[in-house]
Amino acid sequence: MFPFAPYVIKSLWRHRARTILTVSGTAVALLVFCFIGSVQKGLLALTEDQQADRTLIVFQENRFCPQSSKLPQDYATTISKLSGVTEVVPMKVFTNNCRASLDSIVFQGISAEQLRVCRDLTLLSGDWSAFEKQDDAALIGQAVAGRRKLVTGDKFTIGDVSVVVQGIFESAVAAEDNLVFTHLDFLQRTRGVNEYGTVTQLEVHLADNADPEAVGAKIDAEFHSGPVATTTRTKGMFQADTVADLAELIGFVHWLGYACVGLVLSLVATTTVMAVQDRIKEHAVLQTLGVRPLGVFRLVIAESLLLSVIGGMIGVVGSMLFLSSTGLSVAAEGVTIAFRPSWDLAVQGILIAVVVGLVAGIAPGWQAAQSQIVNALKQG
Amino acid sequence: MSLVEVNNVTKEYANGEETIRPLDGVSLTIERGDFVSLMGASGSGKSTLLNLIAGIDLATSGEIIIADTDITRLSRGKLADWRAANIGYIFQTHNLIPVLTAYENVELPLVLLPMTAAERRKRVQIALEAVDLTSRASHYPRQMSGGQEQRVGIARAIVANPTIVVADEPTGSLDDETTEQILELLSRVNQELGMTLLMVTHDADAGARARRRIRLERGRLIENGQETSTRTLRTA
Repeated sequence: MFPFAPYVIKSLWRHRARTILTVSGTAVALLVFCFIGSVQKGLLALTEDQQADRTLIVFQENRFCPQSSKLPQDYATTISKLSGVTEVVPMKVFTNNCRASLDSIVFQGISAEQLRVCRDLTLLSGDWSAFEKQDDAALIGQAVAGRRKLVTGDKFTIGDVSVVVQGIFESAVAAEDNLVFTHLDFLQRTRGVNEYGTVTQLEVHLADNADPEAVGAKIDAEFHSGPVATTTRTKGMFQADTVADLAELIGFVHWLGYACVGLVLSLVATTTVMAVQDRIKEHAVLQTLGVRPLGVFRLVIAESLLLSVIGGMIGVVGSMLFLSSTGLSVAAEGVTIAFRPSWDLAVQGILIAVVVGLVAGIAPGWQAAQSQIVNALKQG
Repeated sequence: MSLVEVNNVTKEYANGEETIRPLDGVSLTIERGDFVSLMGASGSGKSTLLNLIAGIDLATSGEIIIADTDITRLSRGKLADWRAANIGYIFQTHNLIPVLTAYENVELPLVLLPMTAAERRKRVQIALEAVDLTSRASHYPRQMSGGQEQRVGIARAIVANPTIVVADEPTGSLDDETTEQILELLSRVNQELGMTLLMVTHDADAGARARRRIRLERGRLIENGQETSTRTLRTA
């Protein structure tokens, strides 16, 4: 087949407008497919990572938006005494938009000491000591920094909250790249109110042998008759519940991904059928010269494969560049779903392009291989 | 044994409810090195016979033995391999691949044969020299005249040194001057390269260039002006 490579490439280039349109269509469809895939992966990462199962979130009962949950901070002391609990992180959460938004800014106020221990952050710029020393200092995720074009030393304001960027970090958890970490007491006192002693949620870290459901039930029972009742869920379940509406939408959108694959299939198949119908006589000439019917079939398959793979690669590379450069995310009620490029998504996209290219070429390839030489030579 | 033996070959095909039989029990032999012209009116079956000998059409019955191979018994794949090694086909309308240069068109039959790139290069150059088109090697068919295209077609047909070269109305779409050049070239292919040539033509002048002239008329083969039953014809 290799000696025929120039023929295959030149045949595609012969109808360059058609080829370019097909490749472009394939690229766009694969770009959308990869984008949808990254959204789904972002959602899965929220609900299925290990931390999501071994960490509990204590929230005020029957409250959903972070602004409406107000738990006494000293609940942390009580919870930390329960068996199976290794660490309790009081956390104040503030977001500029409780509804689903592509540009939500979510502040999480945590004590600097606990932030360092409980989050796997790598500082890309700035330093911890500067953050620790300054009250209104903030460490901001690289996605937020990219989106808002912020650098260390900048001051920025969202709503009533003004902070100074003392570091930009990259987190091991993609969703955290969209967060802004501040000191807990700063976030409790900012915006002209004094909510010292009140937090939005408590993050409870469990020992390896602890049963999350049992500990969660014990926490809720403990505060059931207290000043503020609680609802305790695993972090994964908490995040899934919080973004349930979005998850439903994302679940629906994945059909759009399959539609993109179908679109590529029909696009490449149509172009290949047209190419074969244009060249019935040419394929007959090749067979007259001694190309086997299976050889003609392979030539057609090679053309459809090339169309699909070139388009697919452009789409996949485009989506990876787009996702990594924009740092897009969607947030609802303080929980962020990050859209991140990934190698397995890229490989999946390329594999789909390969399979689609092969499938799209089967019918026209078979038609070309089965044509009667003499009849085909008589065609105009 | 003759190079080509066509024994009692019949070709039928259906046209609606009617069965057309362009060849009915035709027998013919061609010797190695012969230059045979096959003439006849439209629909007389001359192109059908040529296509059967070239292995691009299948006989309804009978056998066609070329260089000791009964090609009527070969599968489609094996027949394609056999064509690559044994047949040089010159079309009426040259049928060059438009996206390939003259060089690449001539090289095409060779890529199907077990051959090194260096050997392919050498053979293509010899074939292009034979048709006096070395200077046009990098030209595409659209950049050449009809006569030049047909000469590339001839180079493509002879490049693999086939057992037999078949030509289906090779001058049918050319002007008189170019026709003369092409016929001269075909004579040289036969005489200087010693290739066996079977040419279908409706042009009596073109047919006269051949050493043997055969006509197909209403199911009969006529040679040297004598009508002979197609079932019994054997030519030396």
